[in-house]
Amino acid sequence: MAEIDCEETKALVHEYLHNELKPEAQQDITAHLALCDSCEEEYDLEVYLNKAITRSCDEAPPEKLAEKVLDYIRKSQSH
Amino acid sequence: MLTVLDQPVSPRLVDSEAMTTKPDKATEDKIRDFEQQALPLMPQLYGAALRWTRNPSDAEDLVQEAMAKAFVAWGQYQQGTNLKAWLYRIMTNTHINSYNKKAKDPSKGGLDDLEDWQLGDAKSLTATTSRSAELEALDNLPSEIIRKSLREIPEEFRMVVYYAVVDGLPYAEIAEVMGTPVGTVMSRLHRGKKLLRVLLAEYAIEQGYLVPESATEKS
Repeated sequence: MAEIDCEETKALVHEYLHNELKPEAQQDITAHLALCDSCEEEYDLEVYLNKAITRSCDEAPPEKLAEKVLDYIRKSQSH
Repeated sequence: MLTVLDQPVSPRLVDSEAMTTKPDKATEDKIRDFEQQALPLMPQLYGAALRWTRNPSDAEDLVQEAMAKAFVAWGQYQQGTNLKAWLYRIMTNTHINSYNKKAKDPSKGGLDDLEDWQLGDAKSLTATTSRSAELEALDNLPSEIIRKSLREIPEEFRMVVYYAVVDGLPYAEIAEVMGTPVGTVMSRLHRGKKLLRVLLAEYAIEQGYLVPESATEKS
């Protein structure tokens, strides 16, 4: 396992949270976070930010939209 | 690759010789197949369209136009590959072709070239608040404020944040959908999140969800 410093850890927060790192790198960061409050706080903040974004983007499409789309496609085929 | 999709799909442009009132059997089968596979993705498509257009009525139009193009290109879709990403890609092209022509987004242009410090500094803005207060504020902020902040960041950043955070698309697929290298996806995600964090902190302070602990020391 490689030592990883705070700067590197903080720079990789999104890659870590989105599972874009190789398993070894992921483990290095997990190990660093366990020992570093400052980095852990930074990671927590991004997790909360992600939760907030996800919660806000929950608008359902209008009920009739699927129907409208199909009608539009049918019309473009039959004229 | 997707040049056929760049053409506008309008009923007027479709073969007027075949003036049958009902589509033929093959077309009906194609419509049914498309309906069964693509229509269940409507919530995701509408969500992405809302992020692109920032208002419900334009989002509906974008979904409709993108789906019509997808139907025309349906024969090119390779079964077993990621249909949602394929549709998102068509939506990207549709949006860029038809919407950006109407009104050039003044917030666009050269943003990828900006240095980090030019994007504002989330740290300095929230330095006077404790992390736990910031977390709590994020939890308490009304969804409308978060959506408003999303609308205010440049669309390339907004879309990458949306696809990565809300949709959970891997970077490689976001790159495909947006037509950019993976490195651009990474930097837009970083910058988009950073911009959002600054905006949200501003709104949170402005609306009393976040109280600077040493407000008097802030200059």
